[in-house]
Amino acid sequence: MSSAAPPQRARPSRRSRPSGGGAASVIRFRNTHKAFGHPVLAGVDLEVEPGEMFALFGPSGTGKSVLLKTTIGLVVPDRGDVEVDGRSVYFGENGSLARVRRQVGYVFQHAALFDSMDVYQNVQMGLPPDRLRRMSRAETARAVWEALERVNLEPDAVLSLLPAELSGGMKKRAGIARAIVGRPSILLWDEPTTGLDPVNTAAVERLITDLSKDLRVTSMIVTHDVEGALWMCDRVAMLEGGRIRFCGTPEAFRTDGDPVVRAFVDRAAAEAALDVVETA
Amino acid sequence: MTGSAYHVRPVQAVGRWWEEWAGHAGQIAQLVWSTFVALLRLQVSFREFVRQMYVMGVQSIPIVMVTAVLSGIVTSQQGGYQFTSTIPLYVLGSVTVTSIVLELGPVLTAVVLVGRVGARITAELGTMVVSEQIDAYHSLGRDPVVVLGAPRILAGLLVMPLLVGLANAVGMFSGMVAADLSLGLSYETFFYGARLFWHSWDLLYSLMKAMVFGFAIPVIAIHMGFRTTGGAAGVGRTTTSSVMFQTLTVLILDAMFPPLFLQ
Repeated sequence: MSSAAPPQRARPSRRSRPSGGGAASVIRFRNTHKAFGHPVLAGVDLEVEPGEMFALFGPSGTGKSVLLKTTIGLVVPDRGDVEVDGRSVYFGENGSLARVRRQVGYVFQHAALFDSMDVYQNVQMGLPPDRLRRMSRAETARAVWEALERVNLEPDAVLSLLPAELSGGMKKRAGIARAIVGRPSILLWDEPTTGLDPVNTAAVERLITDLSKDLRVTSMIVTHDVEGALWMCDRVAMLEGGRIRFCGTPEAFRTDGDPVVRAFVDRAAAEAALDVVETA
Repeated sequence: MTGSAYHVRPVQAVGRWWEEWAGHAGQIAQLVWSTFVALLRLQVSFREFVRQMYVMGVQSIPIVMVTAVLSGIVTSQQGGYQFTSTIPLYVLGSVTVTSIVLELGPVLTAVVLVGRVGARITAELGTMVVSEQIDAYHSLGRDPVVVLGAPRILAGLLVMPLLVGLANAVGMFSGMVAADLSLGLSYETFFYGARLFWHSWDLLYSLMKAMVFGFAIPVIAIHMGFRTTGGAAGVGRTTTSSVMFQTLTVLILDAMFPPLFLQ
């Protein structure tokens, strides 16, 4: 652990529990380290509570997506652990990673739809394999249909389309449908609004909020869209220098006195204003 | 640079090289083992397997046939050129058939498949890696080796002997026709020479080579595809390396066959 690293600053959640608190957290990062030649995560401790919407900010290249990916083993930490629902992902009994993946829906930055499959097949892949084997063809079709309707896609119009035939916004929605069709209890969102125009960004943000409420899931969002996340989320955290620099409510984040946090908030506000001007 | 660093650097380079190769070997072993387990557990998608058989096999037939026709013609012509003085011309039948069955059929078909199928597999899987589709498989509880790797390996293993069998037949026939047209060697005389030195083992040897190549090509292509990093440029780089490794592997395996099976 580097002595020059900034101290972790935990802020109380507006829901109930302070960060670093008890065992009821849904996702818990414990001293998570990861290096790709150089250190990216340098001992991250963070907790996400049941049912909350949690956003993770930070400058580009600080390891936000890497941290999110350690939750389901897409990136394996060099040191430390991640717990999901109190179960260790990396040091648990056999099959714990598979169990975690069944209860987590992951929305990828660029949707990551399978090129060779149409929308129906893509969304169907979101159903856990063992459940899919037990389901009849009609049940599967109904689940896919419902998932597409939930993300405001017209099933009749898109079911047989290939990803290459969809717009950016539609791809995102199809990716979200694939993540929710298996009824996960946790949704992980990796830059859900990246590459979208302001109209689609607002629509996807509304969709994230609605889905998180309707499906009663815990959401952890990695995003550059600070304003949107402050509007949507119950708690936010800022990753900087491989560690959590801030963790607390959106209100506390806006008014925090830490110069690094302030600089980040000001830059984000300036970028948001620029976006508005460009759109106008 | 200090004196000790100057001496240590080559050792470090050798160490890194060995580490790299050990990594490749370990990952390939893991890939083969996972494929074997998936086959035993009947987890390989039959539909995907048939699709890969079609892509690797049926779609490769035209280029394999063209290659076989040309290799048959060239072998027959060059043999005729060499045999015109002292060696009886009917030996050309044996030389053409043996060259095609033992060497040209399997090796040229393998090289064609490296370019047509191996490069395609690496580029396809590499693109899936950089666009996070492989991560998506993992996140959805599917093993990409089972879903994408195993059907390709199984298809390669079964398709290659069929293609080599076809290449052998077409190559022999084109060699025979070329010998007749250019050297006036009749079909009967060509067959007489071919039968004179024919061993049934040669055909088995040819098909064994085909199976080994048919296994090695998709395994290396898949392995390299899964290792891709660095966006579109990375896909291009990995595909080039993959084609190079596959071609080298085919030639090295080919060189190992005679001392092992033709003694």
